[in-house]
Amino acid sequence: MRTSSSLTSMKALPGFASLFKPRSARVFSPAASWLLVMPLLAVFAIGFLYPLAKLVDLSFSEGITATYGRLLDDPLYADVLLTTAAVALSVTMAAILLGYPVAYAMARARKRTAFIVAACVFVPLWTSVLIRSYAWIVLLQRNGIVNTLLIATGLTDQPIKMLYTQGAVTLAMTHVLLPFVILPIFSVLRTLPDDYIRAARNLGAGPARAFFLVTLPLSLPGVFAGATICFVLALGFYITPALVGGPGSMLMPTLIGQQTTVLVDWPFAAALSTVLLIMTLLVVILFRKTLSVQKGFGSVH
Amino acid sequence: MLKRTSIATRLFIGTITFLGLFNFGQTSLAGERIVIASTGGAYDRALKEAWFDPFTKETGIEVVTVVATNAEMRAKATAMVKTGNVTWDLYLDGEIQAASEAHSKITEDLTDFCKQFSGRKDLAANACERGGVLLQSTATLLAYRTNDAGTPHPESWADMWDTKRFPGGRAFPNFDDPWRVLAAALLADGVAKDALFPLDIDRAFRKLDEIRSDVTLWWKTGDQSVQGFRNGDYSLGQIWLTRAQAMQNEGLPIGWSYKASFLVGDRIALVKGAPHHDNALKLIAFWLNSLAAQAEACEVLSCTPPSTDAIAMMSEKARRSMPNADDIRDYIVVPDAQWINANAASLLQRWNNWVR
Repeated sequence: MRTSSSLTSMKALPGFASLFKPRSARVFSPAASWLLVMPLLAVFAIGFLYPLAKLVDLSFSEGITATYGRLLDDPLYADVLLTTAAVALSVTMAAILLGYPVAYAMARARKRTAFIVAACVFVPLWTSVLIRSYAWIVLLQRNGIVNTLLIATGLTDQPIKMLYTQGAVTLAMTHVLLPFVILPIFSVLRTLPDDYIRAARNLGAGPARAFFLVTLPLSLPGVFAGATICFVLALGFYITPALVGGPGSMLMPTLIGQQTTVLVDWPFAAALSTVLLIMTLLVVILFRKTLSVQKGFGSVH
Repeated sequence: MLKRTSIATRLFIGTITFLGLFNFGQTSLAGERIVIASTGGAYDRALKEAWFDPFTKETGIEVVTVVATNAEMRAKATAMVKTGNVTWDLYLDGEIQAASEAHSKITEDLTDFCKQFSGRKDLAANACERGGVLLQSTATLLAYRTNDAGTPHPESWADMWDTKRFPGGRAFPNFDDPWRVLAAALLADGVAKDALFPLDIDRAFRKLDEIRSDVTLWWKTGDQSVQGFRNGDYSLGQIWLTRAQAMQNEGLPIGWSYKASFLVGDRIALVKGAPHHDNALKLIAFWLNSLAAQAEACEVLSCTPPSTDAIAMMSEKARRSMPNADDIRDYIVVPDAQWINANAASLLQRWNNWVR
């Protein structure tokens, strides 16, 4: 096909030379591609892979029993790991359920409405996580806005304890992570031509049927991308649970923080981090597998 | 379609650009200076006015402060010493932590420096030790909402557990340093002050089980304990005296009992390999030598300065809120730092298991 034009030169200079010859005028040659990717790879290797390897190495520095053995000794660590995964999962579910309609509105609404919706999504993203978490303290505390409202409307006569609970942690984390779910879904929905829906409607599907059979399956890659980002970020969340959570909402990052700063036991902190890292990687691989299945499913016409 | 979404797209690109901006740290200035890490806020301001500013005026050496929590400072100082990239000279740490082995690995031994103060009768016996110089002492104690006159006030930890005589929510600290809560439980259970350490952990947790359902606030930061009291989240709580004093100054109806209190203090430690070693020593010597600085800072923070002569310079009002000699002798518990440090990891693990 396209390569046929360079066939003659390929014959003359096989192997090595093909590195410098692009397969078509539309793409860079392999060598040029590598050259362009090199700076990023170098930064990635020095700034991320090397410290990560050091971290894993540190976790073994005092013998495997001193760190990983201790981790297995006390059921606390497995329990907290499970809680962390459960919280991350519920936050991800909530963020998708709440975020999808917003992404849909951003992609479909008229100019002015789309702008307002987009601003509502982006302005919080520009605000510090710390400030957004503090805002939830103001809302949820005993004499906070929510309790005042509940009492004023007569729904309760005693203030409800909302701050420093697991519910508050899930709520605040969902709020903080919502933009990370909305944006990937939005970017996929935006590329879907209106014609698909029109075609479905033209063939007799109602608006709901057109959405569930056409729009939703086509937007699933965005949903999965958003879910992955949200889940991975939620696994490592530290500030929000520390601010709005109580003793009952103990998560893996809290334990890692304790070992790092309070006890300065870095090998054990590294072991805890490695376990969390392995779980994160497993989840990402699992998500990717599901994603590729979905992609195949989605592109069946 | 393109036009309709272009604003959202622009916002998206704007965000990415915004996130990509780097904040380059300030480059260091020439000239003589000292870097000290402290916990910031009102504490920092008081120290600056009473101690750093007069020092700079006298010596011309600039004092730069860096803000972090005690635990963060400890972790960061450890990292600096381990990597050989020390940028801090001094940092503040708790009295108990300053007695630990880990502390002596990352700080300079001040024993020789301390010799010059051995003749000072006004200084507390522990004012200058190998792990650091005593900045101030204060207490973690039982504070309560003062009701109408005539009703009894809680005095001891046993009263804290007595929910019939003293109804209302309870507050306890949950900042990864659980010995105070366990010790209070044991005292409430009838353990004598002198027999407190080593702590009987099982007994302490059994006693804590009794009060658990009445605890309405587990505070992590001093600000949380203040905000919780303002909001009426609790009526009796184990909190820091400095915060209780601040609330009383604000006019809140709060009182406290030295009969249920633990002595805690802050030390100024010199980081191993500090870049401005000699100037840093001048700054800590200035603290112990300047009675005016000690008196002024502790007047604001309601702490006890290391020098008794400095206490004499403080106002009548400030001195009245300090524990008297009888309280110190009979009630105030001085924690066994060595035992706490030796058992820190296992204590925290037991605590995590219990509290969650």
